[in-house]
Amino acid sequence: MNVLIVEDEKGLALEVDEFLSHEGFTVEHARTKKSAEEKIFVNNYDFILLDLGLPDGDGFELLKMLKGLDKREDAVIILTARGAVDDRVMGLEQGADDYLAKPFSLNELLARMHAITRRKHRLESNDIHIKGLRVNIQNRTVMYNDERIALTKKEFEIFNYLVLNKNRVISRTNLTEHVWGDVLEINSDSNFVDVHVKNLRKKLSQYIPIDWFETVRSIGYRINI
Amino acid sequence: MKLQVKLALYNTLTKVAIILFTGLLILLSIEKISYNHIEVRLENDKRETLRDLSSNEISHYLNSQKVYTDYNILKEEFIIIRPAKYNPKTTSEVKFTTETRGADQNEQTYRILSHYFNFKEHTYRLEIGVAIESVEELKSIIKKFTLVVLVIALALTLVSDLIFTKFLLAPFYKIIDRKLIKVNDPMNFDYEKVKTTTQDFEMLDDSISSLMKKISNLFILEKQFIANVSHELLTPISIISSRLENILLQEDLSEGSENKMHASLKTLNRLKSIINSLLLISKVENNQFDKTDMVMIAGVIKEIHEELEDRMDEKELKFTNHIKYIYSIKGNRPLIHTLLYNIINNSIKYNNIKGTITINDELADDIYSIIIADTGAGMDERQIENAFNRFEKFDTDEKESYGLGLAIVKSITAFHNIKVKISSIKDKGTIVKLTFNHEG
Repeated sequence: MNVLIVEDEKGLALEVDEFLSHEGFTVEHARTKKSAEEKIFVNNYDFILLDLGLPDGDGFELLKMLKGLDKREDAVIILTARGAVDDRVMGLEQGADDYLAKPFSLNELLARMHAITRRKHRLESNDIHIKGLRVNIQNRTVMYNDERIALTKKEFEIFNYLVLNKNRVISRTNLTEHVWGDVLEINSDSNFVDVHVKNLRKKLSQYIPIDWFETVRSIGYRINI
Repeated sequence: MKLQVKLALYNTLTKVAIILFTGLLILLSIEKISYNHIEVRLENDKRETLRDLSSNEISHYLNSQKVYTDYNILKEEFIIIRPAKYNPKTTSEVKFTTETRGADQNEQTYRILSHYFNFKEHTYRLEIGVAIESVEELKSIIKKFTLVVLVIALALTLVSDLIFTKFLLAPFYKIIDRKLIKVNDPMNFDYEKVKTTTQDFEMLDDSISSLMKKISNLFILEKQFIANVSHELLTPISIISSRLENILLQEDLSEGSENKMHASLKTLNRLKSIINSLLLISKVENNQFDKTDMVMIAGVIKEIHEELEDRMDEKELKFTNHIKYIYSIKGNRPLIHTLLYNIINNSIKYNNIKGTITINDELADDIYSIIIADTGAGMDERQIENAFNRFEKFDTDEKESYGLGLAIVKSITAFHNIKVKISSIKDKGTIVKLTFNHEG
């Protein structure tokens, strides 16, 4: 899948590029609104990662221009330092598919891109199969054979996020932020994530061995497949 | 003491002094003038008497060594000539005295001229007196008159001064009231001039206005600065965090380096939280939020309770919601949410294990209040005083507090015109009371 990063910060664009390339995406980079416009006219992209503050204009204008074009299905994720609710609402209302406030986690960006892909292609893979468990993203359930494992909302969120980011260490901070949101003054040192994970593992282990659900000491968690 | 009263008092006192002074002056000069006048007359009388010495009647008395006394009908004047010890050398010297003399049980005060003279080789003492009752009477009349004038002048002056200074100082109090007392934010300062013809007040008005202008410019600058800095910092943080995440993807990374990467990411996250909090405060203070939502307080509390339930469970806190009223205010829903979230979050954060959090509300005269009480660490006087300051942190086990939670509470309450009051007892607990102004 090809991605266009519209971002005037070269350093950030390079990091996103490196990460997404590693994940198998083809990445292009535009640093100004003008060059982005040119690229958008020439190519179709699966994803456009759009920064709002560009040196020669506002990202919203690009979004408007793009939405004005026929037969475009480029998914747009706005990446911006403007993180307030009102900005998010405006971005989404103008037609963006998602919105990430800087500084964002690359893992979360990837998870959101996957989610958009699934939505767009109405993939059967609302089901993720993992070690005999079936995680349904849409119904928010985890099944073992035909039996539903009773998870709380938070437990499902945690498990879902770890599954989406399989084989990658997810830190407690990252997990907290994803599950509880970008709450001001959140206490990431507090062990309430661990409490939830402990409960989650207890529930899962009643069905299957969970040696693949790894605790990475002093950092966070990883699901190894 | 008010300037108005001071001015009136000063005026009154000076007027009293002037009236007293002129009164005394008149009294003294009247005495002096009339005495002078009387004395001149007495001297004339003396001269006349001496010239008439040889007149039959008087010389008869003198020759027979008797005292010659003569009072006129109303006893207003008298002449007494009596023999004295012989002194061959008499001078033309005269002496004036004021004495009370009695004649037929009728005592009067006289101005008396005494003079020694020789007549036919005898020395005599001549006394001529004139009653000065009329002068004394005049004096007492003037005294009374002065007193009356004084009292009337005092009363008039005091009243007129009070009225005049009140009128004079009206623009002054208007300036104080409108430009200083009623202004709680320099951004809302009223630059319209207060009407006055007094130059000094114009100057005061102008200088306050220009001072406020300077202050509000600094305010704007500070707000812009915070907003810009926050924006400019978030992108670099984003770069660093992405870079660290990319490094984490490398498979040959040692466990130690991986730990350090994660620790750095965590630090970056803290930094992000701080900047976002500052950005929020600055935006609230910049009036960058609108207040168009109808926010139902009970609903927000319920939502926050759900959000924080697991944190309460973790500390085994007992949460009691006694909200009785369905009350909505016009405001910004996300901000109200953040406000209540921060307060409840604090009461969880600083609570003891197995403590309680109790939420009550009350409605009196259309004014709605909500009271959030906890059984936590509490604060002392000094801590309460500083609680709303940015970056004010208290000794707690919580490492992740940036001291911005209550600063956010302060800016959101100020933005919504909500009164916030903290009362707390050290080691007993804290009560936060929010009073919602009816007009929101």
